[in-house]
Amino acid sequence: MNYNKYFELAEEEGIESLELYIVKRYNLSISLFQGQIDSFTNADTYTIAIRGIYHGKMGYAYSEKNDRTTPQYLIDQVKENAKVIDNDEVPNIFKGSEKYFKKNVYNPTIVKIPTETKIALLKEIENGIKNSDSRITESTVSYEESIEEIELLNSYGLKLKNKSNYVVIYADAVANDNGEIRNSYDFRIFTNFNDIDPDAIIKKAVQNTLSQFGGKPCASGKYKAVLSPKVTASLLGFFLTNVEAEQIQKNTSLLKDKLNQLICSKKVTIQENPLTKNAFFRYFDDEGVATYNKKIVEKGVLKTYLYNLTTAAKDNVSSTGNGYKSSAIGKVGIGTVNIVLKPGRKTEEELFAKVIDGIYITDVQGLHAGMNPKSGNFSLQAAGYLIKNGKKADAVSLITIAGNLFTLFKEVKDVASNLELQPNSISTPSILIKKLAISGL
Amino acid sequence: MISKNLARDVLNIALQTGGDFAEIYLEENISNSISLDNGKVEMVNSGITYGAGIRILNKLQSVYGYTNDISRKGLEKLAKTLSASYEGQPLFKVTNINKVRVPHKHKPQIKYSDISVQEKIERMKSASNIMQNYDPRIARTMVSFADNTKKVVIFNSEGKQFSDIRTRGRIYMTAIASKEGAIETSGVGPGAQKGMEFFDQELDLKELATEVAKTALIMLDAKECPSGKMPVIIGNGFGGVIFHEACGHPLEASSVGRGLSIFSGKQGQKIASDLVSAVDDGTIEGAWGSGNIDDEGNKTQRTLLIKNGILNDYMVDNFSGRRMGRSGNGCARRQSYRYEPTSRMSNTFILPGKSTPEEIIKATKFGLYAKSLGGGSVNPTTGDFNFACTEAYIVKDGKIAYPVKGATLIGSGKDVLTRVDMVGNDLKRAQGMCGASSGSIPVDVGQPTIRLSEMTVGGRGGVIKQ
Repeated sequence: MNYNKYFELAEEEGIESLELYIVKRYNLSISLFQGQIDSFTNADTYTIAIRGIYHGKMGYAYSEKNDRTTPQYLIDQVKENAKVIDNDEVPNIFKGSEKYFKKNVYNPTIVKIPTETKIALLKEIENGIKNSDSRITESTVSYEESIEEIELLNSYGLKLKNKSNYVVIYADAVANDNGEIRNSYDFRIFTNFNDIDPDAIIKKAVQNTLSQFGGKPCASGKYKAVLSPKVTASLLGFFLTNVEAEQIQKNTSLLKDKLNQLICSKKVTIQENPLTKNAFFRYFDDEGVATYNKKIVEKGVLKTYLYNLTTAAKDNVSSTGNGYKSSAIGKVGIGTVNIVLKPGRKTEEELFAKVIDGIYITDVQGLHAGMNPKSGNFSLQAAGYLIKNGKKADAVSLITIAGNLFTLFKEVKDVASNLELQPNSISTPSILIKKLAISGL
Repeated sequence: MISKNLARDVLNIALQTGGDFAEIYLEENISNSISLDNGKVEMVNSGITYGAGIRILNKLQSVYGYTNDISRKGLEKLAKTLSASYEGQPLFKVTNINKVRVPHKHKPQIKYSDISVQEKIERMKSASNIMQNYDPRIARTMVSFADNTKKVVIFNSEGKQFSDIRTRGRIYMTAIASKEGAIETSGVGPGAQKGMEFFDQELDLKELATEVAKTALIMLDAKECPSGKMPVIIGNGFGGVIFHEACGHPLEASSVGRGLSIFSGKQGQKIASDLVSAVDDGTIEGAWGSGNIDDEGNKTQRTLLIKNGILNDYMVDNFSGRRMGRSGNGCARRQSYRYEPTSRMSNTFILPGKSTPEEIIKATKFGLYAKSLGGGSVNPTTGDFNFACTEAYIVKDGKIAYPVKGATLIGSGKDVLTRVDMVGNDLKRAQGMCGASSGSIPVDVGQPTIRLSEMTVGGRGGVIKQ
């Protein structure tokens, strides 16, 4: 598409600099229930979000309508919306980084695989789950394929494009044992159709569901604990919001003035690897700044805050390439891509052996309610297993775990080797915590 | 947005492979948002979301697709792609389309388009100043204002055309209080399907701002909540989120129809204490979760869900209704054209009882008064839930004793309502966004003050010893 019209109009209207951010998305999702296609969705969407500097202030606007009137409408909105801004932020449209580490991550073969093959795969998984055990009563499985193309253009001639795609397989299972109902679900992300291993997905869904039977609250108290990769990733995501420069500058992070200080246990090294070739790969952020791999926490020491252009200008540093929008139409905030908690050498079982008596937490609920990422305090409904004599033992459910994020990451005693990539683009292994408060019986 | 002739042609393409029902949903949504951070205007955004969704049903199967290209070419292509999912001969053809007229009850008196950005900002700044000046420990304030006007047009293969215009406005106020090493956040977000008159005439923004700042400070000085089993009093208004999550969702046909809900097959049975009656009411004039029609074109209704503890009815959309051998009752909703509609709540609340809130507290020897709740989550299959209290107090000997923070309420939707032993006379509704398979939609939750005889409370203040 020809976007020159926007830049011509911007110049005529006195807009100093302009950025276009265009997202094109294709989605295919198929879900199966009781052997039948329960839902099938096919979608093509286009969003253009623009922002521009007018009289020294930034105005934003967006549209999904794309006809002859769109450029004028958007330019008018940018001017109107810039006029009323009265904060002291210095807006910035980026001239470009010296070097970009572009890689081709788009896999063109996925979209060409016939829909029948994709449906057959779901049927195989659903049958596999249902036939594994007579107690399994229901299973819903779904396939979601997504292609995303992000294009960033600005009036300094910067022109960047990233196209990526992935498949998410979701499988859940419901089981009933004499009236005791348990369920579990699991998502997995793939960038290659042939990597999808139905047997592994079936095995995990069935195990995760059946192993919960007999689960009940355990005694309240302080436990040595192992947190599964899924649970660790959820907690880490909240913890990392406190290294965003905006939180620091606005006095809402307890990690203010902690640069080069020990903020975690020495066992903890946290990296951001946006250039890892996977479904989340990004070589430029949402302001056009080149991304790079970096250590955020190294052996417990905080190495850097995360900056976009605006916050970097305030601290007189360079953007760390972490200017991301929460959606195509939002304001550029601060975000991360491909966070990795560096794995250790021990297996998860070896962590259990080290704990001897304690608890293994595999699931937490109510994160958006029971987690206060600013104070770090959390109180969350959880489930998992007791660890007895160094081994995973009885199922535990309906307990709450309570603690503080800042304390928790300081009390990491060990990190396992079982690195897993979660749908929030965070990869973590299991971790061992010195003590965790459990409220149960 | 498109002509009847085009709609008819697209529906006939959708039906060409044996689908028994087809529908085109078109939407144009104009949104404006303003955000203030520490009293300064930080961002103003405006834009248009625009597109169409096509759905084709064949018995218990459904295919759905959406696009921003609502030209003849774009819609015909989508209908063709989707119809390729079925194999068969057309069952019937759409020949005529007639407009179904539904009275529009939820009209703004003062349109947002008649109010300048500057006028909205003035109101926001005043609220922000009140919070900021309330106490030096208020470290940061945020105020945002969002309004949108959504036009919806639906055509279906029964030859019907429906339309609706929905105008909503909402203000969020947040105060963050801090003292050395501690940070607490408090906020409110009132909204309505009304125009600017809601903010100028019905709300007292100054009083709300004061409340928000005050609550943040109370929580800053609060002790950690003790954990254990105890009686719990849940405050009115947003306290209803617990009913919404733990009992409302399992009453939606999307899970009931598939036999996946704790309330499947329980119609006519006792699921709550005699004191509990509850409704889902999409007809309340100007309410945040109301609509003239639902997103399938059905008229919205007031549905009595629970009557004196007995499960009276479910919330049903037409498609889920097929699994239940019945038609929908006006509960099909979706965030936008990007979502296939399904049964959802609108304004869902517990009806008032006879006790005053003071009587309820007075009758409690020891327990937790959860005055205000944050969000929560529920496992729809098992009914297990978890909620965080954003403002809570310990009650001792019939009096509010002291504030506590970090309290969570844990239980199961299966039996939570059976434990209700007092229901207040102070029904209040509060606004929220509810997320589920058909996206994030505006809903009202609500209830009077209620008391549960016993509940598991989680917190970091040690196990309670009574």
